[in-house]
Amino acid sequence: MGTDMSQRKLCKPWEHRSSRRQLLGTMAAGGLGLRSFLQPSVADELAKNDKQVLLIWLDGGMSQLESWDPKPNTEFGGPFRAIPTSVPGINVCELLQHTAKQMHHLAVLRSVCTQDNSHSAGVARINRGDPKNRGVEYPFLGSAVAKLLGPTSSGMPPYVWIKPYSGGFKASDAGFLGAKYGALALGDGKPPDNLLLNKSISAEENELRNELRQKFNERYAIGRRKEWTEANSYVYELAKKLMERGDLFDESSFTDKDRERYGTHELGRYLLLARRTLETGVRFVKVNSYHWDSHGDNFNACDSLIRQFDQPFAALIEDLHDRSMLNNVLVIVMSEFGRTPKINSHVGRDHWPEAWSIAMAGAGIKRGVVVGKTNDQGTFVDSQPHDIGDLFHTWFKAMGVSEGLMQYDNHGQPLPVAHDDCSPISELLA
Amino acid sequence: MRFGLYRKIVHSLILMMLGMPALSAEDRPLALQIDEMIAAKFEGQIPAPGSDDAEFLRRICLDLSGRIPTADETRRFLDNPTVDKRAQMVDQLLAAPTYAQRMQELFHVVLMERRGDNDKWTNYLRTAFEQNKHWDQIVRELLFPDAEDESRRGAGFFYSKRLEAYGQNPTDYPGLTRDVGRLFLGSDLQCAQCHNHLFIDDYKQHDFQGLYSVYLNLSIKSGLEFPAVTEKPMQKKLEFVSVFDSTQRETGPRIPFATEFAIPEQSKEGPAVSVLALLADEFPTQGDTLFAKNIANRLWFVMMGRGLVHPLDLHHSGNPPSHPELLDLLASEFAAHQYDIKWMLRELALTQTYQRSSRFPVTLVDTTGAAAGASTEVNTAQISPECYVLFNEKRMLAEQLLHSTLQATGNLDRLQQPAADGKPNPELVELTARYVAPFANEAREPEDQISPTVKGALFTLNDETLLQLLSRQPGNLIDRLITMTDEQLLADELYLSVFTRKPTDAECKELLAWLAQNGDGREKAIGLWAWSMLTSMEFVVNH
Repeated sequence: MGTDMSQRKLCKPWEHRSSRRQLLGTMAAGGLGLRSFLQPSVADELAKNDKQVLLIWLDGGMSQLESWDPKPNTEFGGPFRAIPTSVPGINVCELLQHTAKQMHHLAVLRSVCTQDNSHSAGVARINRGDPKNRGVEYPFLGSAVAKLLGPTSSGMPPYVWIKPYSGGFKASDAGFLGAKYGALALGDGKPPDNLLLNKSISAEENELRNELRQKFNERYAIGRRKEWTEANSYVYELAKKLMERGDLFDESSFTDKDRERYGTHELGRYLLLARRTLETGVRFVKVNSYHWDSHGDNFNACDSLIRQFDQPFAALIEDLHDRSMLNNVLVIVMSEFGRTPKINSHVGRDHWPEAWSIAMAGAGIKRGVVVGKTNDQGTFVDSQPHDIGDLFHTWFKAMGVSEGLMQYDNHGQPLPVAHDDCSPISELLA
Repeated sequence: MRFGLYRKIVHSLILMMLGMPALSAEDRPLALQIDEMIAAKFEGQIPAPGSDDAEFLRRICLDLSGRIPTADETRRFLDNPTVDKRAQMVDQLLAAPTYAQRMQELFHVVLMERRGDNDKWTNYLRTAFEQNKHWDQIVRELLFPDAEDESRRGAGFFYSKRLEAYGQNPTDYPGLTRDVGRLFLGSDLQCAQCHNHLFIDDYKQHDFQGLYSVYLNLSIKSGLEFPAVTEKPMQKKLEFVSVFDSTQRETGPRIPFATEFAIPEQSKEGPAVSVLALLADEFPTQGDTLFAKNIANRLWFVMMGRGLVHPLDLHHSGNPPSHPELLDLLASEFAAHQYDIKWMLRELALTQTYQRSSRFPVTLVDTTGAAAGASTEVNTAQISPECYVLFNEKRMLAEQLLHSTLQATGNLDRLQQPAADGKPNPELVELTARYVAPFANEAREPEDQISPTVKGALFTLNDETLLQLLSRQPGNLIDRLITMTDEQLLADELYLSVFTRKPTDAECKELLAWLAQNGDGREKAIGLWAWSMLTSMEFVVNH
């Protein structure tokens, strides 16, 4: 009992193939691949789209004044200097000393003006692109992209989230799209549970049992609604791809030079893992960093936090460029809001959605530009203000999502992907 | 103080009037009236045929006992020639001890949304359903979990768990207010916290604030061996401001969509008058007919896989029911039967709507020509779930999936034996935790649709749990199958155990060929085949 089939004659590869055909019959052929999930015309369009996204989410609110929009020597400017960058005429805060050298790859929007100054509402609002309320819970950007563009040709899960604390499968980002568009979360960069094939099952047995399962499913779907069976096949396909790429999670395979350049701190490790995750073909990678809510001691906090961001971010932009990936990968750096120009009695800055900055780079985005400006004190936007809805339109356009795809079908209810009254910011688009 | 009696009478009169057409249209069974109302909206679509006995049995067992039947139970049911054996089965399942267990698991998930669990709470729910406590009574107890009353104080978990801080959040009083509106009136008042709802005219800010004013006086009472809350006497009305027009308003305690009631005067001598008790007492009879409609709609959803109002917590004039007159009928009949859940589930189970197949038959077009074996299928993508021409497939709770897996693999009887101290078998408790992790939603997310996840897939593929249940142990499925020499009987036993039906000829042939190929690795071969069945859609979905 318990014979290991991989040791037996049956499972030599050539015999295995023929016996499988015999056993599974004609129904086993093909199966529901990832692409069958989509309508053919859409699938064709998407097959050509290999754009990827990296979203760096600095939770709590990064200070624009200590980063992308410095106002040195003004009433609210704080103690840090502005320094020149690789693009003549554009200055950033001195805490971004490494990023400054990569400015020719970046675009910064300094005229962001959004709606909410509480974390609880702001985080969801910005992540969802603040679409018009239609009585449904909209997806976060990563789930939206997972739905609209699906996995890349790599077949890897479309949405991976690298974050501190717990991992697992986080469905909450998906909103009305449903759990299968949720994020596969790598808690502290660690692999998900049950990633390795159980020791008691050989690779051949695993293939056989999955073909049987798939065959049973196809039979089950006859005469029934297809959507659940397709959703089920989809998650098993993703699981299979993940199991094949278990090496993704082997931190020991990074070089010492990489570690030195990115840093061994949390955000450094996560951004290095993000680079590899993008290299394996994951469509959308989100990296979270927490504790940016500097209501007290803002300047010491920024001296630490922004430097923790600056070093690995600059290394990542450099690497993506060197690997010819920057044309293909859209990189976004944002928070739920910026921070008040006014410095409070705890030497902190509070929440400020009125005038802040979002930085981006890569696919479809103009290089080496600053768009929009704030007034001299940095208190309000002093050019055309842009809400997050405009940015969502901009990013979808940069990703090559065509007009025809800019609408969800929620069981018959058509829902615009981004806010109806907003539009792409042409100055940011390449 | 108790001005509620008059209201109750008026309320019953309204409900009776709502129910009038049904009553006057002779005493036809409710099931028949339901089917007529559903059929009236088929709009030319041809409904799927009735389920066969096996399909029905699997479904009704999952719904009323939380698990699939054993192979022997299925054989007995299929062989039973009695004409009304389906109705008999419904009655049998409603009378079995598994009914209370299933309802406890179901209502635990509905009411707590995976926030956590508590022994006293489990016992409270279990006992309530063992005694067939009616819904209005259960809600009164949930809303006023009298700590003095041993029989109902486990209900305190509904409040106490929600009053716990989680993460960095302070006590979430708005969340508790919102949940009471959602779960008992089907109305998500969240947006009405700060202003009259923008898109839902029916939801006013005072509806939220009036209920909120009661809950602001509630806090956890710790140090007891059961979950409990304490209530500060309410001193004055709650002031609130709309974020739109900045006008100052105020409200006393209020059940949403009902009139405000006066803050009770506290006498210095006697015990404090509990606003919570007043609220709980009045709750089922107020708030329009939403109390009845909400629970009728939720039970309909449990059985039919789609709410007449959907999502379940958005009852309002902008989101009308798919079958308004049917929801009125269900609500008024349910109220007229004093919110007897068992009665309601029985009526729903006896409808054709419930007993319809989840699949359309496939017509073979041509069996001789070039297109031999080709078939036409109804395009199911065009069929919306709210027309009920096809039975809506339903998600299994992690608990249903586990119990069914244990039943299918022949491990349930053993694991259901309580431990020596009378507590649940620790192995079963452990297994439940292992299944809840990959198959339940995260806390605070309703589990209202089929949602396969990568986490669930990785669990079934690689976790030890399922493989262990499939390893040979005395008397379990694999053990029984291995000792069978007649291969047809083996195939029958396997398919009846896992799929609750006999295998087709084609399936038999495939299985026998598979076993023949793996003659000397029989245990492994049977195990792999059974694994593939247990992880397939036919098993993991309630269809």
